[in-house]
Amino acid sequence: MKKILLGMVAFSIIASAAPFNAEVQTYVDGLKTETKKSNSGFVDFDIARGEQIFTSTHIGKKGTKIACTTCHTANLTANGKNDHTGKVIDPLAPSANSARLTNVKDLKKWLRRNFNDVYNREGSAQEKGDVLYYINSKSKGN
Amino acid sequence: MKKLILMVVVLSGAMFAGSGVGVKPVSNQLYINECGSCHFAFQPGLLPQRSWTKMMGDLANHFGTDASLNKADTATLLAYMTLNASDKSMNYKRSQRMTNSINTSNTPLKISEVPYFKSKHRELSRAMITQKEVGSITNCVACHSNASKGDYHGTYVPNYGRVDD
Repeated sequence: MKKILLGMVAFSIIASAAPFNAEVQTYVDGLKTETKKSNSGFVDFDIARGEQIFTSTHIGKKGTKIACTTCHTANLTANGKNDHTGKVIDPLAPSANSARLTNVKDLKKWLRRNFNDVYNREGSAQEKGDVLYYINSKSKGN
Repeated sequence: MKKLILMVVVLSGAMFAGSGVGVKPVSNQLYINECGSCHFAFQPGLLPQRSWTKMMGDLANHFGTDASLNKADTATLLAYMTLNASDKSMNYKRSQRMTNSINTSNTPLKISEVPYFKSKHRELSRAMITQKEVGSITNCVACHSNASKGDYHGTYVPNYGRVDD
């Protein structure tokens, strides 16, 4: 019984991204509605698509190669470092930094800025949702 | 007794004059949160009003990155920055010197391009700045451990030691 319980606990830690708070969930639902307008077959945001958006390299706003991982690193539970200023960036993953993905004003600000910096354009509603699912999925050790 | 009190007053006055607070420390939490999330929260007293006005007018193109904020926060910050700009803080030694060193026809956006700043950092080698413990001339606290208090005395360059200022 103990083993089963332990297994269940371990499974829930690995498998479950914590749910968004109400404020963020409302924002995510809005992104879904917006995505459906231009993509009638859309079902839900996707962690794998988010990972691709987050880890791929692009010619950014400065005209040079950059990825989200340039500053945030590929390990979202670890500190990152601002590539321009050297300032340390706290981990993005909510599992390592409980303040992340909790404030819609902050989310909108950083999604706007960082899509511009990395992609040299705004992100679409679907891209924003995919990235949020990806960030939210990262727990320690994966 | 009177003499003793006078001495204490004079002495503490001298100590204050010798203390390093040359720029008014940042006192605005929004400023610390927003500007300080990407870089050292440079005191508004390091650039004149006209520089801050120009900078805050184009945060979407902030030294090559998008640092845009919503309109309300932009306005709140600009009001704080201009109220405490170098040319409004002439009672602080370094604000006064920064202000006076800038040609009135110039509107610098980089603190590191202000003549007074440049003259104070002219002896630094490139290696001192590019080493990983510093990385950039914008990383004030790397060498000025009390920079966030507006105190730029006590310069200590990592791996090189004290630099007299």
